[in-house]
Amino acid sequence: MRAVRAAVRFRPDTTVDFVVVGSGASGGIVAKQLATAGLSVVVLEQGPRIEPEQFEHDEIKTLFQATLQNPPAGFTFRRTESDPARPGQIQLLYHRLVGGGSVMFTANYWRFREVDFVERSRLGAVSGTGLVDWPIRYRDLERYYTKAEWELGVSGVPGPFDPPRSRPYPLPPLPVKSSGVLFERGARALGLHPQPAPLCILSQPFHGRPACQHCGYCLGFGCEFRAKSSTLYTVIPMAEATGRCEVRPNCYVRKIEVDDRGRATGATYFDENKQEHFQPARAVVLCCNGAETPRLLLLSTSNRFPNGLANSSGLVGKYLMFNGYSTSSGVFERPLNEYKSVMATRVLYDFYESDPRRGFYGGGALDARAFVYPTMFALAGLPQDAPSWGAEYKHMLRDYYTRTMNVDGHSTSLPLETNTISLDPDLKDAWGLPAMRVTYKDHSDDLAMMRFLQDKAIEVLEAAGASRTWRQPVQETTLAAHLLGTCRMGDDPRTSVVDRHHRAHDVRNLFICDGSSLVTGGRGQPTATIQALAYRAGEHIVEFARKGKI
Amino acid sequence: MIDDAVSRRVFLAASTTALASAWLAADAHDLRASLAHAVRAARSCDPLPWESLAPEQAADLGAIAAQIFPTDETPGAREAHVINFLDHSLATWAAPQREDLLRGLDELNADAARRWPGASRFALLAPKRQLELLHARDQTPFFQQMRFATLVGMFSLPAYGGNAEKVGWKLIGFEDRYAWQPPFGDYDAEAAKDGH
Repeated sequence: MRAVRAAVRFRPDTTVDFVVVGSGASGGIVAKQLATAGLSVVVLEQGPRIEPEQFEHDEIKTLFQATLQNPPAGFTFRRTESDPARPGQIQLLYHRLVGGGSVMFTANYWRFREVDFVERSRLGAVSGTGLVDWPIRYRDLERYYTKAEWELGVSGVPGPFDPPRSRPYPLPPLPVKSSGVLFERGARALGLHPQPAPLCILSQPFHGRPACQHCGYCLGFGCEFRAKSSTLYTVIPMAEATGRCEVRPNCYVRKIEVDDRGRATGATYFDENKQEHFQPARAVVLCCNGAETPRLLLLSTSNRFPNGLANSSGLVGKYLMFNGYSTSSGVFERPLNEYKSVMATRVLYDFYESDPRRGFYGGGALDARAFVYPTMFALAGLPQDAPSWGAEYKHMLRDYYTRTMNVDGHSTSLPLETNTISLDPDLKDAWGLPAMRVTYKDHSDDLAMMRFLQDKAIEVLEAAGASRTWRQPVQETTLAAHLLGTCRMGDDPRTSVVDRHHRAHDVRNLFICDGSSLVTGGRGQPTATIQALAYRAGEHIVEFARKGKI
Repeated sequence: MIDDAVSRRVFLAASTTALASAWLAADAHDLRASLAHAVRAARSCDPLPWESLAPEQAADLGAIAAQIFPTDETPGAREAHVINFLDHSLATWAAPQREDLLRGLDELNADAARRWPGASRFALLAPKRQLELLHARDQTPFFQQMRFATLVGMFSLPAYGGNAEKVGWKLIGFEDRYAWQPPFGDYDAEAAKDGH
């Protein structure tokens, strides 16, 4: 599927059918859906285009320098509206390059389940939160999960709690690692039900791409083998091969323009030299992620939309969700060599559903994890009460590096109207635009769920025979990689931003499809759902275009 | 959308020190170019002249790195050329950190002189006194900067000048082959044998 990059380059003044903002997990799919249906598309991507052979196993560049991530000082943070917002108090982690986060993510690929879409009606209201049912159900999304798995290439095998599926996974699971074997051993001893982790990584050659070479550098790194099924080397080449889709890198969109009828007319953006351009289009699709999408809408003010575009509900940027997490480690007698191969090969979903007997709302899953990039492990891999330097530290590092594994918890975040993306009134970004301001305080139930899963993780590690276990203390979120819920989907324009087809309630030819569309955040791995929604949205948008309903 | 738990720890680990902030801010190209120098220094028979440090400062910082990651029956910070990496970094992309770091070193040396009249420089202290002094000051931003730089110099790609001859990686059992087939470790090998 390694298409020769088509040469289509639209003249700057060409009005295309669609401008898609963002080329990541959802944008790549939407662009492909539109272009393969015969529509002309310009994709505007903030970051550069990096080819797979340019990806390196360089911790300094990728993790510390993070040149492809958003700059950590580029926004402000506060816990609540009454706190002052300061730069650098939290890290929102996302990537700016063609393919976006789908290039760098760990590649966990969990479907949501029936319960994720109807939790409000199953459980009743959770006081003080915005927990509501989705306007769609799992059954509405099932075939798009299947489409994503088969078109992108996902490896796995269903487990005992999996939701119904219309087709098996296209590829068998990746080979189990020592952490997976030990996780299974511990979990089974406790009567739990571990299963192979579904991954958006090829266990066998697929569509002209090679199988995973087990290099060990998934999290935060691009895959030079193209075995991680990023949009960069799956759907984006398919879109480009139509000759109707141009992916334009290094384009930073600052405003979606509207005419006096309130219709979107295209996107104003800066190129890499900070020169301003306007790309006219008959319709616009935002796929910028759950932080950048609401920011762009709030930046897109006009006489007609003084509070930001598509924001008559006042909910653009609200109900931000990050997903909870916790991490625990154990050291074993013999080498595991977790630095080889993918990050997680076993997962268990026994605690997925919220259980009133726990005394708090929440659900989640545990997986067996590696934390083993050498510099990272040296800096932060040992127990917190272990020596951190000197001869004893060195001895322990040598002793633990190949023999340590993690069990991580991944869990719910309640949607709270007070957790938001907004515009900072003072700080400006490098282009002189108002910087993003993040307001986020974890709900006490979310923290309780993280602790609950951490306790279970320690039990699993001990039952697996760990000679020592330790925890990273659960604390309020300081780093968020999942950016969800900020333009929530719903049938009522007063309580949601987009409708069930991802059309903005307020603007007929504006569609929004990315993490911002999610009504609830699932249990910690949202990418499969974001991509299933993108396939579904793409199909509906094509249908609307064909019927003249845009 | 890079995933969750590990990346949070990665960032927290990297962001705890002032030096880390410089790493986050530095330009990748600049970093690369500057560290090529350290590679040359590591390979050279004659040490290159220090770029950002006076010889006695280099001796002190090198001695601190050698206490953070000591040489025993296996190689440590000295063999990994951590000091060359640090010297050139401070001359270039980490230049904004240089003043703070050297002020921290001055404070450390002043503390040594207070404790042991006549002592002037860290590098000249007896090893036992070096350790005593560092233990007393290991929560200072200066020490945390030095820990960060030492460990990054030990374990990052040798192309950056540290981890000379991959001594850091060999020490902990990391092999930079980047292509593997199962079994990966003892427990999955055992499971495969048992017909898992």
